[in-house]
Amino acid sequence: MKQFIVIAIAVLAAFGFAFQGETITIKGSDTMVILAQRWAEAYMSKKQDVTIQVTGGGSGTGISALINGTTDIATSSRPMKRSEMDKLKQRYSSLGVEVKVAKDGLSVYVSESNPVREMTLAQVKDIYTGKISNWKDVGGPEGKIILYSRENNSGTYVFFKEHVLENEDFATRTQNLPGTASVVNAVSKDKMGIGYGGAAYASGIRTVLIKKDDASPAIAPTEETVLSDTYPISRYLYLYLKSKPTGDLKEYIDWILSPEGQGLITKVGYFPVTKVGDSPTKK
Amino acid sequence: MNQRILLCVFGILFASGGALAQDTSRAVSREEYEETEGTLEGIGETLAAIKSTVDALSKLKISGYVQSQYQVAESGGIVSAAGGIFPSDVKSRFVVRRGRIKFNYVADFSQYVLQIDVTQNGVGIKDAYVSILDPWEKTFGFTAGIFDRPFGFEIGYSSGSREMPERTRVTQLLLPGERELGAKIEILPQDGPLSFFNLRAGVFNGVLNTANENNGFKDFIGRMGVQLPFREENLEIDAGVSLYSGKVTNTSKFVYSVDPSGGVNRFAVDSSASNLGGSLGRVYYGTDLQLYCDLLPIGGTSLRGEYITGTQPGSSVLNVFYNPYGSGGVISASLPVYMRKFTGWYVSLVQNLGGSHQLIARYDEFDPNTEVAGAEVGVPGSNFNDTDLRYYTLGVGWVFHFDANVKFTFYYDVVTNEKTAETATGSLAAYKNDIHDNVFIFRTQFRF
Repeated sequence: MKQFIVIAIAVLAAFGFAFQGETITIKGSDTMVILAQRWAEAYMSKKQDVTIQVTGGGSGTGISALINGTTDIATSSRPMKRSEMDKLKQRYSSLGVEVKVAKDGLSVYVSESNPVREMTLAQVKDIYTGKISNWKDVGGPEGKIILYSRENNSGTYVFFKEHVLENEDFATRTQNLPGTASVVNAVSKDKMGIGYGGAAYASGIRTVLIKKDDASPAIAPTEETVLSDTYPISRYLYLYLKSKPTGDLKEYIDWILSPEGQGLITKVGYFPVTKVGDSPTKK
Repeated sequence: MNQRILLCVFGILFASGGALAQDTSRAVSREEYEETEGTLEGIGETLAAIKSTVDALSKLKISGYVQSQYQVAESGGIVSAAGGIFPSDVKSRFVVRRGRIKFNYVADFSQYVLQIDVTQNGVGIKDAYVSILDPWEKTFGFTAGIFDRPFGFEIGYSSGSREMPERTRVTQLLLPGERELGAKIEILPQDGPLSFFNLRAGVFNGVLNTANENNGFKDFIGRMGVQLPFREENLEIDAGVSLYSGKVTNTSKFVYSVDPSGGVNRFAVDSSASNLGGSLGRVYYGTDLQLYCDLLPIGGTSLRGEYITGTQPGSSVLNVFYNPYGSGGVISASLPVYMRKFTGWYVSLVQNLGGSHQLIARYDEFDPNTEVAGAEVGVPGSNFNDTDLRYYTLGVGWVFHFDANVKFTFYYDVVTNEKTAETATGSLAAYKNDIHDNVFIFRTQFRF
C-alpha cells in the first residue's frame, strides 16, 4: 500500500509540473480587448516562441478567471474589488499585481443626428436612473430617450454606476448589451439612443461633451483632458496578475510598459500613462 | 441558458430577416410593413418576457463541492482529528468527507442561503440563513438562521478553500460543526477611513447548529478585526480578537474542578444541592493573525496563527462543551460538569509554487486542561483521564490544483500526545507512550 501511495504521488507530481506552457492567456475587459489584441500581435511578431491568447467577456469575467487560474492576465477597466482581492489572497496568498497600463475617458455616446452637444454629469445620471426620460429635458428634440448600457460583468458598467450614477440603480428600461461595440452600433442606428463606453470606440456616433456641473466648462475626452483628469470621467485601464510575474510573463508586461508597447495605446484610441522604466514588475 | 435564449432569438430574427430579404426587388406594401412591424414587436415582447425570467433565475446561484478521500492510519481504532474516529481494526478507509451543495438567492440587499451536506453518513443541514444589507451605506448587515459562528479565523475559512484537510483539534473541540443557530450583526465599511475595520457579533443558542435551545441562556459570540493591505508591497496583515461568552445549565448537583490542595492535583467535586439547575460559564478568548505576502519569485506565501484560551464546562470523558440534552431538549442523563481551563493554538504556512501547486505545513497544540500535567494523569486518586492530555500535531502536505475545479491534497499528520504517569493503569496505561495515531490523507476535491 505504501508503495502504491508513493507511486501515485510521484505520477501526479510529474503530471502536475509537466504542464508549464509558454502560452500567455489574457482575458477580461471588452473595452481593452482591441488594445490587448494589438499588443499580442505586435509582441508575437517580435517573439515567435511566445503565444498569446486574448479574449474578452468583461472585467469581472477576467478577474474571476484570474482567481480560478484559467488566465494569466486579467484586463480590467475598473479597479479590483475588495471581495475579489480576498478571493485571490485566499487562493494564491497574494493580493495580485496591479499594473496601470493606459487611461481612458469614459465617453457618453448619442446618435450623430442628435443635436445635444453637452450634458452635465447630473443630467447623465438622471437620464440613466430614469428621472429624465425625454430628450427635450436636456435640450434635444421631443422623444423618449432609449438607454443602452453594458452587462453587470463589465468593468465599464461598474465604473459608470459608481462614478456617474453614484451607485444608484439603472432605470429598469435600460437595455444591456454584451460589449461596447454593441452599444456603439445600437446608438449609431437609434436617433433617440444614448450609450457609454471607452473613447476608442467612438466611431459612427457623437461623443457628448461632459460638464462636471452647471458652472463648469464642457470637456471632450482628449489626451490632454483625460491625462490631467480635467475630463470628469477619466479612468485607468489595468492589467492584473496573480502574483509577481516571472519569465515570459514579466518580459511581456515590461514590453507593454516600454515605449513600443505604450506607443500602440494611442493608435487604438486610449492614452499612455507609464513613463519608461516605471514597470512595477522591476521591483 | 442565456446563450440558448440568444441563439433562439437570433434564429427567429435571422429567419425573419431571411424572409424579408427574399424579395427585395419589389416595393414593400404597407400591409407587409405593418405585418413585419407587428412580428418584430411580438418578438420584442417575447424577448422581454424571457429576459424577465432569466434575470430572476440569474439571482439564484448554485455552488458546491465534494471531497472524496482515502486515509491510512498508523493503527486501527484511533480517535483522530483528521476526519473522525477509525473503527477498531480499521487502518484505512475511503470516505466522502464532505458533499456540499449550496443554494444562494441574491436580491439587491438581501440573500437567502441553504447549504446541505450529503455523505455516506446521510444528509445534514449546514447553513440556512437570511442576510440583509443596509441599502444606503452597504456597511451594516444582519443575518439570522444557521451560519458560521463569528469567532476567530479558522471557523469562517471554508473547507472547500482551506489547504489543510481539517480544522485544528482546538477548533473542532471548542466549536464543533462551526455553525450555530442565532442572529448576528456585521459592520463592514466598504470604503473611507474605516474600511480596514470589521465587526461581526451576535447571540446564539449555544447548543449546536441543528439542536433546539435547551436552556434559558443565549451565548454571545463576536470578532472584531482589521485588514491592513499594503498594495505596493503586495502584503496584507489581517488580525482579530474574538470572544465567546456563554453559559451551560447543570443538570446534576455535581461540579468538578481542579484542586491542587492535599498534595495531589485532582478533580474535586462540589455537590451542593444549589448546583442543580445552576449555570456555569463557557468563555473563550481568541486572537488571530494572518500574513499574506508575495515576496518570493516562486509564488505567494501566507502565514496564519490563532491562539484561544478560556474555560470549558465539559464532562468527565469529553472536553467538548457540556450538553446533557437529547433531541428536542429532553434531558438524556443527569451529568456532572467538569470545569477545565484550556489553551490551544496553531501556526500554518502555505507556500504557492506557481499557479498550480502549494506546499503546506501546520503545527497545532491543544491543552484541554492547563492545570494538569500529563504526569498527573493516571495518578491514583487524581480522577483525571485521557480527556485531560495535551496534543501536539504537525501536518505537512502538498496541494495540486489540477484545473479550476479539481484539486488533489496529500497530507500527513504526525500526532503526539502528552504522556501519562508511570503508575497509570487500564486504558490510561496506553498513554505512557505516544499513541500510534498518525494519519495520511489523499483527497480529491471537485468544486463548482
